[in-house]
Parts: sequence; C-alpha cells; structure tokens
Amino acid sequence: MMKAAKNYWIFVNRCARLAFVGDWRYYAWMGFLTIFVLLGINAYAKQFVSGLITTGMSDQVSWGVYIANFTFIVGVAAAAAMLVIPVYVYANEELHDLVIFGELLAVSAIVMCLSFVTVDLGRPDRFWHLIPGIGQFNFPHSMLSWDVIVLNGYLLLNVHICGYLLYCRYQGRKPARWFYIPFVFIAIGWAISIHTVTAFLYVGLGGRPFWNSSIVGPRFIASAFTAGPSLIILALQVIRNVTAYRITDKALLTLRSIVQVSMLINVFLLVNEIFKEFYSGTMHVASSKYLFFGLHGHHALVPWIWTAIACNMIAMFLLILPISRSLKYLNVACVLAFVGIWIEKGMGLVVPGFIPTPLGEIVEYSPTLNEALICIGIWCFGFLCYTTLLRMAIPILQGQISKANETA
Amino acid sequence: MSDSSPNPNPDSAQKPPEHGQSRRDFLRTSAVVATGVAALAAALAPLRDLKDFTTVEKFLQKYYKEMTPQDMEKVLDRIRREVEAQYGVRPTVQDLKPMNGVEFVYCLNLTRCIGCRKCVHACVAENNQSRDPEIQYIRVLRMPHGSLDLEKGEHNYDSEQVPEKNYFYMPIQCQQCRNPACVKVCPTKATWQDKDGITVIDYDWCIGCRYCEAACPYFARRFNWTRPTIPKDRLNPNMAYLGNRPRRQGVMEKCHFCIQRTRAGRYPACVEVCPAGARKFGNVLDPESEVSYILRNKRVFIQLKEEVGTSPRFYYYFDV
Amino acid sequence: MNSRSKTSTVLVVLTLGFCFLACSFLLNLWGHPALRAPVPLVDLAFIEPSTARLSAADLIKAKADTSNFECYTCHDKKNPVKIKYDTNEMIILPTEHQDLKMGHGRHNRNNNCFNCHNEKNLESLQTRDGRELKIEESPQLCGSCHGPTFRDWEAGVHGRVSGYWNRAMGGFERKTCPSCHDPHSPKFPPRKPAPGPHALHTAVASSPAEQEHH
Repeated sequence: MMKAAKNYWIFVNRCARLAFVGDWRYYAWMGFLTIFVLLGINAYAKQFVSGLITTGMSDQVSWGVYIANFTFIVGVAAAAAMLVIPVYVYANEELHDLVIFGELLAVSAIVMCLSFVTVDLGRPDRFWHLIPGIGQFNFPHSMLSWDVIVLNGYLLLNVHICGYLLYCRYQGRKPARWFYIPFVFIAIGWAISIHTVTAFLYVGLGGRPFWNSSIVGPRFIASAFTAGPSLIILALQVIRNVTAYRITDKALLTLRSIVQVSMLINVFLLVNEIFKEFYSGTMHVASSKYLFFGLHGHHALVPWIWTAIACNMIAMFLLILPISRSLKYLNVACVLAFVGIWIEKGMGLVVPGFIPTPLGEIVEYSPTLNEALICIGIWCFGFLCYTTLLRMAIPILQGQISKANETA
Repeated sequence: MSDSSPNPNPDSAQKPPEHGQSRRDFLRTSAVVATGVAALAAALAPLRDLKDFTTVEKFLQKYYKEMTPQDMEKVLDRIRREVEAQYGVRPTVQDLKPMNGVEFVYCLNLTRCIGCRKCVHACVAENNQSRDPEIQYIRVLRMPHGSLDLEKGEHNYDSEQVPEKNYFYMPIQCQQCRNPACVKVCPTKATWQDKDGITVIDYDWCIGCRYCEAACPYFARRFNWTRPTIPKDRLNPNMAYLGNRPRRQGVMEKCHFCIQRTRAGRYPACVEVCPAGARKFGNVLDPESEVSYILRNKRVFIQLKEEVGTSPRFYYYFDV
Repeated sequence: MNSRSKTSTVLVVLTLGFCFLACSFLLNLWGHPALRAPVPLVDLAFIEPSTARLSAADLIKAKADTSNFECYTCHDKKNPVKIKYDTNEMIILPTEHQDLKMGHGRHNRNNNCFNCHNEKNLESLQTRDGRELKIEESPQLCGSCHGPTFRDWEAGVHGRVSGYWNRAMGGFERKTCPSCHDPHSPKFPPRKPAPGPHALHTAVASSPAEQEHH
C-alpha cells in the first residue's frame, strides 16, 4: 500500500515537473495565456469588490456573457463523448488513441464551466451553501442543483478515466477493464446528461417563452456535438504539428463525418425553431423578433445572430461538400462552426430570453470591458489547463516518461 | 512543445551542459517566476478596497430554518449593532413568524389606480431599498385601453398629470404565487413560501446566482448589483429579519408584503399610501376581510399570466 | 537563433510583460466602473399618506380650523337661502362661494344645493328621504344615491383603510367620501405622478455642453 502510494507520488511529481519545461514555443504560449489569465484575475478582483455592477447585466438582463459562455462550454465538455462513442461502442481503431485528448479537453472545459459559474455569483463566499450535507441543497427541485451534480460528476469521471489510463501507461501495465470500461460507458450517458440538464435550466422556466421550448435540449446536444469535435479537430492538428505524436488524417476525417451530421441536425433544428416562432406569430415571438430583426428600434443582437447563421451555413456547406476532405477547408469549416455556435448558443440564446422582460420592457445588454476581460481570462485559463494536461499526457503516451526511466 | 527537441526525456532538459549557461537560465527563469508572482499580487490589488465583505461569524451563519431561538437572538443582535454603526439609529429587528389561520391575499382595483406611483416610493421608504442604484419592488405600467398585453405597457411615463385619457395603470409587484417558480429553482433553498403565503428570502443564505430572477414571470425580484445606499435620515428602523433589514451586495430581494408590518397585524405601506384606495390587503381565510369580500362579490378578477401556472395571491379586479 | 536563445528571448519578453502588467494593475489603468448619473432622492410628498383632500370629519378629528362649516357666521337663520339660476338652468354662485366648482355628475340634476344641504339648518345635511345628518356623517348621504359604492365602502373595499388588518391587534381608520371626493365636483382630481424608474446603467453625458446639446 505504502509502495503504491509512493509510486503514485513519483508519477504525479514527474508530471507536475513536466508542466514547467518545454521549448520556446511552449513558454511563449503558456506565458501568453498567463498574461490574459492575470488580466482576468485583476478584472475579477475589481468585480469582487464593487459587485456585479461592473458588468453590463441589470435586473432586466440578469444573465450575460458568463452564463452564455458557461452554456457553450458545457457543450464542448459533453462533446468528448463523440470521441468515446466511436471507439468504445463501434470499436473505431483510428480514434482509439485520441480518446484521451477528448477527455482531457472535457476536464479543462468543466474547469472553465465551474469558473464561469463562480464569477457569476453575487456571493461567491457563500459557495458552501451549495454543498450537499453542509449547505442546503435544493435537490431535486432546482435544475441548478442537478447541474452541480452532473458537472462535478462528469469532472470526476473524466479525471478518473484519464488519470487511470495514463498511470497504467506510465507503469507499462495493461489497464484493468473492470476499473475503467464501466466508467467510460457511464461517462457517455453522463456527457449527454450534462448538456441536457444545462438545457433544462432554461427550458424549465415557464415565464420565459423563448427558452420554454422542448427543442432547446436537442438543439443543445446537436450544436455541442458540432462545436466540440470541431475544436478537437483543430486541437489534434496543433498537437500533430508541435509534437511527434502521430495522428492520422483518417482520424480527423472520421471526426469530420461526426461534425457533418451534427451540423446538419443542428441547422435542421434551428429551422424548426424559427418556423414555429415566426409562422404562428403569437405574442411569444417577441424575443425571437428581437434576436433576428430587432424590436421597437432595439437591435443589438441582430448583427451577431446573422453572423452566427452565416458562419453555420458556410460551415454546413463546406462540410457537406467533398472539398472539406482537404484539411484546409475542413479547418475553415471547423472554425466557422465553432464561432457560429458560440454566438448562437451563448449570446444568441441567453440574452434574448431576457428581452423583452416579462413585463414587456426592453433593456439591452452589452458586456463591459471588465466582464470581457474576465471571460477572456477564463478561456485562457481553460487553454492553460488543456495545454498543461497535454504536456503531461503526450510524453507518457509516447513512452518517453515511464516507470522504466524513473531516476529517483 | 519540447518533443521537437532531440532529447527524448524532457526531465533532462533541466541538466544543461555548461555551468555558466545554466546559471543564466536559472536567473531568467527566476525572473519570469518572480515577475509573474508580482503581477499576480498586483492583479489582486483592487481587493485592498474590500470593506466588511464578510466575517467569520457571518461566513458561518446558519440557514434560517436551522437556527435555534438563541442563534437567532445572537444574529438579530449583530444586525442591530451593524445598523447602528452604519446608520446611527438603533433599530428594532424582529424575527416575525407567520400567524396561524392567516393567508394573505392582495387585490388591486384597476378601475381606481391612477398611476401616481406613490406606492412605489412608499414601498422603497418602508422597506429600506437602495436609493442609488435604485431598487424598487413595484413597477407601474401605463397601458392603452383595451389590452392586457404587457408589451404595450409604458414603464417610464412622465406625464404632467395622471390619470390620462385612454390609458389605465397597472402596478406589478411580487405576486406571492401559490406555485412560485422562484422557490423551485433556488439551488440553496434561500427563498421559500411561508404558511401565510409570503415568499421570503434569507438574505444571509442567498448566493446571488439570480436563477430566481430569471424564473420569475413578473419581474418581481431585484438584485443588489453593488453596495446598497440608504441616506441615514431615510432609514426605517422598524425591521424584520425576513423583511426590510438592510441588505448587502450580491443578494436578491423582493416584495414581502411588508412582513414587518403585516405579521404584526398592520396593512402594508403601499395600501396605506394609495390615494385612490385601489389597493386592498387582508386575510383570505377570514370571510369578513376586505379581500374575501372582493373575491366573493367582484365579477371579474384576474391573476396575471394565469397560463404560467404560478397561481398568484395577487388579484387584479375591476369595479362593475 | 538556436532553440536555447529563443527560449531566453521568450523568457525575457515574458519578464518584461509581467512587469508591465504589474505596473498597470497597480496604476489601475482600465476597467473603471462606468460613471452613473446619480439618482435623486424622491420628494417626501410622494411618500406621505395624505388623501386627495380633507373632509369635515378629518378636520374635526385633527382639531383643525372648521370655521368654513359655520354657515351662520354669514347666513341668517331666519332668512332662508334663495338659489338663483341662469338661463341654462345653471346655478349662479354668490361671490362668497365662487371657490365652489359645481360638477356633481354629468348632468344638471344635482344643480340644487338642497339635494344635500339642509335648507332648514345649513350646518347639517339631509338625505332625499328627509333624514338630517351631521356634516361629518356624509357617507350616509352619498350612499343614499350611490348604493353599490356605499356597500363596497362599508366593506372597506371602496376607499382607503389604514391601520390594522387584524382588528384584534389594533384599530383601523376608514376615510370618508369627502376625504377624496369634493362633494360639489366628485371626480377624483388628477395629479403629478412620482418619478419613474431609473435604469441601472445609464450613460452619463460627458460634458455639460453635450448635455445641453441633447
């Protein structure tokens, strides 16, 4: 037992030391991210002192870019399942070794999600009121309590799976199937659940007709399975370029077909939503009208949503056409899909739900500089986590670091 | 990343060939780390301005429903001390419990309301809301005749005189729903419905996630976006724990039917200030009460947004 | 440039970058909260619970000046009042009563002082069925025509009630008709509304000149 603990300690220690060494590109990248993280921390310190008045939010639009980014990134985290399913359900060989990159992305994404929720709290010092057992946990009534469970559960599942597989690889032994395969399958279901629960957060609000629509859940999943794998396609190419890790084009093209189908479903569901809203033209169309065309002279979101739709449409056509078998076009499509969905699901979903207010008032929202800096800080922190995790994982996967070459 | 370097073991990257070069590397790395830590410390500099954000006592304060009477007495005493220190007035702060056999209902006569907004400001004065930034529990909408579509309502009318021709006025505040959406969504049970029908908030338990604000179909909830400000001479010293005691930055608040008055048997401030007598309040379980009379005798009364299933205890009615 | 010197360059740049950041944080160069226009305190007149006017009952209760209701300071008990009408059958008010605005109802059927005032004792009122009422007992009189409203008023549903809803815990006060309605012209008088809501984020005009411009 003591020996096992000591072995594990050496492993953790070596991994941690790895995070601080690299070539000049690594330092430049990490330094660049750190600078923005620091900017974010500074901005948050200001918000912590003055309160959320430093944001563009108000009683009328009481959630803004924090929750918008949170919602989007939950989707990115869930998308790890899109690597896991082909491998473990359909025994896809190409993606087999890449699963761990998806799972590490999920871990980083959940860390970002939790950060975004924390910065949105008015009383972060009272976070312990949320902890089951010592606080008051309104389960199962509040969807937010479900979200706390599924997000933290998903984090633990992925940390366990990645950590266990990497440790086994480090030790040079075969992982015990019973110790991770069940968790892999639980994680697949769990990935769907984190995003469904996040959708239910909105769907469950009867007083907000823009969100109170059963299609929001499926749209969330479809858009997540587009944006997430798009990011993974891009990330894998970066890994391939800066490390000696072998990633085949075939693996990328397998992911392409996932993005392709998801994007089609995503656009199809969007069309459904738009039809229902505008053809029936009930009083509840006001938010959609505000989003797409502007309402009573207020149209802050109109350019954004049309940019998003243009991005999604171009991405969809690129993905359908055979030209996206060339990585150049595939990358363009992935970037467009990612940006398009980020706008559509972030600002395009959260903000119009508040406009007009339930009393018909129109108060527009735009994030402040401080708010934007906090968001950028958290994004950079997420990238910092992901880079660090990859920095540790890749040498282990390549066998450069293993029990065999322990010096201590 | 380092894998492009010829050395397969990045651990050995720390063992450079030459002594002098290693020293320079060490200095450079130390400089980065030192300036990085300095930048982090500087980034946290705004925290210097943090004033009485929390104390150990406040941080560890128990949930309202789990406090013993002794705990509550201690907390009330702390609040009295804090209020006195900040506003120079010794307040009476009580923890008023709901009465047996009482369910409050509010009725508002849309035929009578003239849209003068006195209720809005009497409410602010009674309930110690922040004056700047402004927090108000009541919104009065100026509605064109013939429609109950709230989107047609004007919130910011600034007429020379009210009432105006071809409009009616619709004040909206917390509807004290029988199925409150806000209570359901609160992740920490910081808001709940008491047995007299009032939905209250434990201001010291709320984490400020604003989910209730998103859930409320009546725009009834308000958030303290920053430290609330109340001029000393406008503080109402008659306070209740779940009612009008001063709130802090980062928590929700809303109309609580003036708990500090109504649970002591009195009418709410908005009822007593209405020059048109449009506001009626009372115990619906008492058949002799004004509200029972209204629900029995007035032909048309509406619960706002009945379709959302919240079943408000706030009724709008019309004369004849 | 070899990899080592590139690393050195990166480290130096980062060191400088961190120094610059630390300085700008300490100098608080950006991210200041937007200036908000101050919200003026509301006039206390909008908070106090006065009614539209004061009735005789209110004045008596407040022990205020009720000399206006002492008719026989000017009138002569032995000399009954004669009402004069113009060609449109509108009352011609004597100069002493020019302050009255005659507008009870949208017709002229109330164009007779003695519909309500008692011609035999001007300091009292009379109902149509001949009952004599004190001046502060006016609701009975109003109720003799306005039945449903009177019924609501008796139930506390028309007009304002203040004090204790829980009658076991304390008293209550019900305002009488003339506290809000001028008997001679009962339509509820219009008034200036209290100021409306102020938005949380309001742009402040940067200079007075700009303010004037708007």
